[in-house]
Amino acid sequence: MSVQAALAPRAVVPARASLMRRYLPYLLIAPSVIMLLSLIAYPLLVALRSSFYFWNLQIGPEPLAFVGFDNYVQAFNAFDFRAAVVNTLLMSVIGTAIEFGLGLAIALLLLKALPGMNVVRALLILPTTIAPIVVGFLFRYLYDPGGGLLTWLLKSSGLPVPPEGILGSPATALAAVLFADIWQWTPFFAIVLYASLLSVPDEIIEAARLDRASPLTILLRIKLPLIRRTAAIIVMLRFMQLFNTFDTVLVLTRGGPGTSTRTLGYSLYEQGLVNFNIGLVCAMTWITVLIVNAIVALYVFFAFRNEEW
Amino acid sequence: MTADTPALSRRSLLKGVSGAALIAPFAPLLAPGRASAQDANSVRVLAVEDPFFFSMKALVPEFEKETGIKVELESLSYDALQARLVSAFVAKTSDADVIAVDQMWLGQYLDNGWIISLNDFIAKDKDVDLGDFIPEVLYSSNMWRGQIGTLPVAAYAQGVMYRKDVFEEFGLSAPPSETSEAWTWDAYVETLKALEGKSFGGQPLFPTVVCGSQPSPIVHMFTQLSASHGASWFKSFPGAPWDFEPQLNGDAWAKSVDVYRQLYKLSPPEAVNYVWFDAGTRFAKGDIGMFYWWTPYFYLVKNAGYMTGKKSDVMEKYATAALPKAAGVPQTVSLGGWSLGVPSSSARQEIGFAFIKWATSKAVQKKMALWPDLNYQFSDFARASLYEDDELKAIYPYLDVQRSMMKQGNGKVTRPPVPGYTALESVLGLTLNQMLTGSGDAKASLEMANGLFSGILKGNLMIPYQKDSYTDTLDAAKALIGQLG
Repeated sequence: MSVQAALAPRAVVPARASLMRRYLPYLLIAPSVIMLLSLIAYPLLVALRSSFYFWNLQIGPEPLAFVGFDNYVQAFNAFDFRAAVVNTLLMSVIGTAIEFGLGLAIALLLLKALPGMNVVRALLILPTTIAPIVVGFLFRYLYDPGGGLLTWLLKSSGLPVPPEGILGSPATALAAVLFADIWQWTPFFAIVLYASLLSVPDEIIEAARLDRASPLTILLRIKLPLIRRTAAIIVMLRFMQLFNTFDTVLVLTRGGPGTSTRTLGYSLYEQGLVNFNIGLVCAMTWITVLIVNAIVALYVFFAFRNEEW
Repeated sequence: MTADTPALSRRSLLKGVSGAALIAPFAPLLAPGRASAQDANSVRVLAVEDPFFFSMKALVPEFEKETGIKVELESLSYDALQARLVSAFVAKTSDADVIAVDQMWLGQYLDNGWIISLNDFIAKDKDVDLGDFIPEVLYSSNMWRGQIGTLPVAAYAQGVMYRKDVFEEFGLSAPPSETSEAWTWDAYVETLKALEGKSFGGQPLFPTVVCGSQPSPIVHMFTQLSASHGASWFKSFPGAPWDFEPQLNGDAWAKSVDVYRQLYKLSPPEAVNYVWFDAGTRFAKGDIGMFYWWTPYFYLVKNAGYMTGKKSDVMEKYATAALPKAAGVPQTVSLGGWSLGVPSSSARQEIGFAFIKWATSKAVQKKMALWPDLNYQFSDFARASLYEDDELKAIYPYLDVQRSMMKQGNGKVTRPPVPGYTALESVLGLTLNQMLTGSGDAKASLEMANGLFSGILKGNLMIPYQKDSYTDTLDAAKALIGQLG
């Protein structure tokens, strides 16, 4: 008994310390988790709930009735849904691929000790800092059929320009919107990839050169594998951003001509902030969230399957 | 006597800052209502950046001097204003005392209780002089279910603008300034065709210009044409009983599409992407023979560019005319514009109404028109008496044409302000935009749009219509004006 009494306080202290050690990480991470839940999960759950109600602010200020999956059916049957999905996927995949390719090329150029590179590096960041809406207005002028710089350049180079203008023809409008995005976001890829490439050890490159590896082999076998984590993450980020494109579409074409530049982001804007059909826009939001997450999950699975985290 | 100054330790500073940071997000909940915290002798006005805003803004110091009420005036773009107002109303956080209201929003705002009815204010205040307003304007833009929700600060009709020098050069007769049986849409197209392929002043001339951008710009321009041809959107509206079964498959719609397509073929091809001001600025540029558009362009085309203040090449060379009509169909002119209303959330509704009364008064509207900046840019009068004013007629020589168009106006037929209108406008705008460049059958496209209309209206619980109908006629509007005014 006396032995037990003597030992008891000593036993409690390590037990408390071990308990603290066990739960401290959870305690420390709790504020972030709470913040994330309140900022991301809560709005998404509210949107999920609203997506099952008929709630149109043009009809009434409050949700009027539970309609089950009607909003989802309406979203899939909407006159512009298919076109919006196709355009969004085209923009996201092609845009990300071109921006990555061009960004990598520029990043490799930046590594060269060419004269004026410091100025180029500083200037490169500029397009990324401009608001997309301003980029939209800028390109609206550049595409002007009556004397826009890009229209003039195309005509001067002997390339055909549709009589309706670059933004007025269904054949060129989507590419024109995409080009504005590529102009703005390629520098982002260039700068991030340039920073990653700087971290590739010179000794490895030097060793490869001594082994007479070609520049292309060095790029494909050494540089790209060494920067693949950064590359994979920025590709994913840009893909998600492109998937939500709406501001440049709003300014340049308002989704037209026809449905040729309609994106899911623009349709969401139109249903939410023009038509105020909250139930429908919530259903469309969830459809978009599911599509993006499915694609991103597949991408993450394949891009990081051999990685250790 | 000296005040005690407690020493500020680093710890107490940190405590204070952390406390403030914690409380900050909840400050709006803890603070008393914003309206009551504001100066009781001020009024907050949320407007739209249409031409009227600039002349009204220039006169605000006069209102402040006359009344001692401070005005906080803010302007937003059309889309931004609508989004901000609705978000604020839903969140019950509206901080404005006067708001600009588009006619298409009126029913929604009144039905949802977001703005108050002005009937009582007007009945109590004979200085409003309700009888001076053009009844067609009040009916189209300000009345919903027997309530006057707003008063018009800028009223628009549509009319024709043409180049006098071009018509003279090619020996064309000037279009009439009054609606006439001979001045039909077919005659309008024939006149334009006489200008096809011509050059003027050494540059190629386009006979006309249309708006092709979806959804609102093309719908605004096209619906003038369809209303002229007697096309109805619904089976029965605005007359009772309301039946929102869509009627886009009627012959008048198909005929209107055919005419609009012809007009597009006579326009610059890039007009497929033109929004409101693109068409106006194109005419001001000097290579367009004739076009029809909202009446603010009667003065806006005096500017090179949109509201630049720089004189355009056509400033002294254009004139205005009446809209063409369809043979055998009574003319209906599209009416639109901006009005001012008082949000129900405002704590200073009386002051808000005082501002509306001032801004829509005959005296202030005249002063707005006499404001010389931007080449005199305000003649959007809703008051009949201002169309008789010789001083104003000298500056705006087209006032007779404009009044004549207003008197034939019916905004409830051209673009019915029914709940859920914008979703219908999206479908119609897209359909029309696609038909401009495509060669498909108009009837088939309209049939498809009709089906989509039906789906949207059923989804919005408008078919079958379950609420009470209202006999929304011009006569009922005139009776209300007589009763209140």
